[in-house]
Amino acid sequence: MLVLALRSVRQRPGRLLATLLSAFLGAAIIMTFNSLHDTAGQPGVDSVSAETLTTSASVVGGYGTLLVFFAVASTLTVNVRQRSAELELLRCSGATPAQIKRMVVGEAVVVALAGAALAIGPAMLGGHALLGVFQDSGQVADSVDYAFGPVALVSGVDITLVAAAGAAFLAVRRATRPAVRRGRARTFLAYGALVAGAVSVTTTFAFSATDAALMAAPAYGAILLSVGLAMLAPRLLNGLLAGLSLTGASGWLAVRTLRRRVEHVSGILMSLVLFTAVSTATLTMQSVESDAVAASGLRKSVDAKNLETLNLTVVGIIAVFVCVMLVNSLYAATTYRGGEFGRQRLAGATPGQVLGTVGVETAVLTAVGVLLGSVAALAGIVPFTMVRTDGVLPGQAPGIWLAVSSVAAAVTLGTSLGTARRALRTPAVAAVATVA
Amino acid sequence: MFRTGSRGTHDTGPAAEALRLVKVTKTYGGGDSEVTALDGITLSLSRGSFTAVMGPSGSGKSTLLQCAAGLDRPDSGIVVVDGAEMTGSGEAELTRFRRSRVGFVFQQYNLLDTLTVVQNTVLPLKLAGRRVDRRRAREILTAVGLGDRLGHRPDQLSGGQRQRVAIARALVTEPRVIFADEPTGALDSRSAREVLRLLQEAVRVHGRTVVMVTHDPVAASYADSVLFLADGRLAGHLHAPTADAVAERLAHLGDDVPAGV
Ligand SMILES: Nc1ncnc2c1ncn2[C@@H]1O[C@H](COP(=O)(O)OP(=O)(O)OP(=O)(O)O)[C@@H](O)[C@H]1O
Ligand SMILES: [Mg+2]
Repeated sequence: MLVLALRSVRQRPGRLLATLLSAFLGAAIIMTFNSLHDTAGQPGVDSVSAETLTTSASVVGGYGTLLVFFAVASTLTVNVRQRSAELELLRCSGATPAQIKRMVVGEAVVVALAGAALAIGPAMLGGHALLGVFQDSGQVADSVDYAFGPVALVSGVDITLVAAAGAAFLAVRRATRPAVRRGRARTFLAYGALVAGAVSVTTTFAFSATDAALMAAPAYGAILLSVGLAMLAPRLLNGLLAGLSLTGASGWLAVRTLRRRVEHVSGILMSLVLFTAVSTATLTMQSVESDAVAASGLRKSVDAKNLETLNLTVVGIIAVFVCVMLVNSLYAATTYRGGEFGRQRLAGATPGQVLGTVGVETAVLTAVGVLLGSVAALAGIVPFTMVRTDGVLPGQAPGIWLAVSSVAAAVTLGTSLGTARRALRTPAVAAVATVA
Repeated sequence: MFRTGSRGTHDTGPAAEALRLVKVTKTYGGGDSEVTALDGITLSLSRGSFTAVMGPSGSGKSTLLQCAAGLDRPDSGIVVVDGAEMTGSGEAELTRFRRSRVGFVFQQYNLLDTLTVVQNTVLPLKLAGRRVDRRRAREILTAVGLGDRLGHRPDQLSGGQRQRVAIARALVTEPRVIFADEPTGALDSRSAREVLRLLQEAVRVHGRTVVMVTHDPVAASYADSVLFLADGRLAGHLHAPTADAVAERLAHLGDDVPAGV
């Protein structure tokens, strides 16, 4: 069966590019941060350097891992969903559900392994550079040498593999066994994530204002909450769409199309919610932290500045990663819609109307995603701010939130409209003829 | 934007000539792989006629229909639909030209899976910004035998039912000309008969003009006349066709043209 999977990968490498990219980026991020564990574990590393490295590898590596897991999983879900027609064809031509499942999961494993293997080199360079930033900021002794070892390798490969195979398994099970008690497990997971997130956020109050790991609990909490909310997002979207009536041909078509595609866009919503939550929460907390450090006047300002740079670098890497994943899954989802756009055009839609429809759909998605992401971010920011300072909501929060939302809106609209425009270059008659 | 032909204007009433093509050519590819799909086609179809287009695979039937319907632009030549010449080359312009004049029925239906039967049917009106008369849409759907399937989605319908939705959608804008490319190509003979009757009715009862590509002599016998196409050129014409006469002609057409060009 792995042979079949390999063959199917070889036949359509382009289809799997999005999945490969997400596996590659995900593995690269995990390996980069976890190689700090390997570096810290070398003999002869002084205890202060080792602790700094281990702490940031655990904190950032920890929630980064969680993030990568869901980002890879959501891209893979988008990919399998889109191939439901192809899978249906396979089923009709005699493949059993078990065979199809093995093929799709096998394919995911092959792609994840390839992505992880490709990620090793870049992760080494990235980890090296990251260590350099630590050393420049004086957090780690200059004598420490970089090491890329078993922790980085095993965690990178394992997590990518589990995320890809797990998501493929769940998605293909849904695709080959339609409407069988679906949603139960999802609801359970969603509430589980919400409860875990709430607990994690509440734990923030158990820390003292100057604990090095203070940021970990609310950051984890915000991410878990955003995962939970993202899983419930399709339902929220459904409710919203039931009451939404837009005028104009594009609005009319967008609402009706979206109503039927809620399940399809759940992966994109996941990326959108994660991006908003993670970026808003971590950037705001970092800026609260920096202000608090500056106010306490404990450290020399040069050191504080360096620490800020370091943390922003780390947060930036994570934010950019989620953003790339968002673009990736949105691009993958939109390129598959060429046939649908073709049918709209043949029914009398001008290219402008098709783009208008895509624009309205994306705007609705963005609004829902940003809203849920903001709620999750707020749930992390408020406890952190309360423990770290005297306030509740930091003054810089609205500005950061606005910036993050603008980026989210620009990225989602830009990607889906740009991709749709490209799809429109194919003549309508040819576009509907190509088998999805 | 659109020049009006000498036979009368769209506004003052339908032209007697529903479709006219003058020296229409269309070439695909370039260099060695150049294929002349249409080689100077000139033809004229009167209003209220039902014409079948037949010919070997690759003879240019689909290309002819797409050029005539404004789904594609010919390389040269003139296309006049209902007295209005098709000009402009942008997709948006061609779309607006098609909206009130042309309906199209495809072998693969090309309905939108996300919309119900009624929504699919009124979609062209919505897109054209025209008033949506739901009662009229229901009437048309009832007439094609789908009065009890209004809220269904295409994937809940049989092929024959889907094609009838497609016909209802093509009729709803009250176009002058309806083009159908192998509309019965994917249907069993009973569903095919129903579809052909509906097309015939559009001509006889509602005075529309229908141009239909088909490979099936029986389907062609529903038309008033048959145009034969070979190698991108008109290769004959048959009035009041019977299935046998059509089959006979096709066989001879096959003599001249090597199969599978
Ligand atoms: N988009 C295209 N690009 C290149 N060549 C094309 C294209 N469309 C059609 N052709 C060529 O033009 C010729 C006419 O094609 P057309 O589709 O009109 O044939 P047809 O008569 O409809 O055939 P069939 O009965 O098989 O549907 C063929 O040789 C075909 O290969
Ligand atoms: Mg054809």
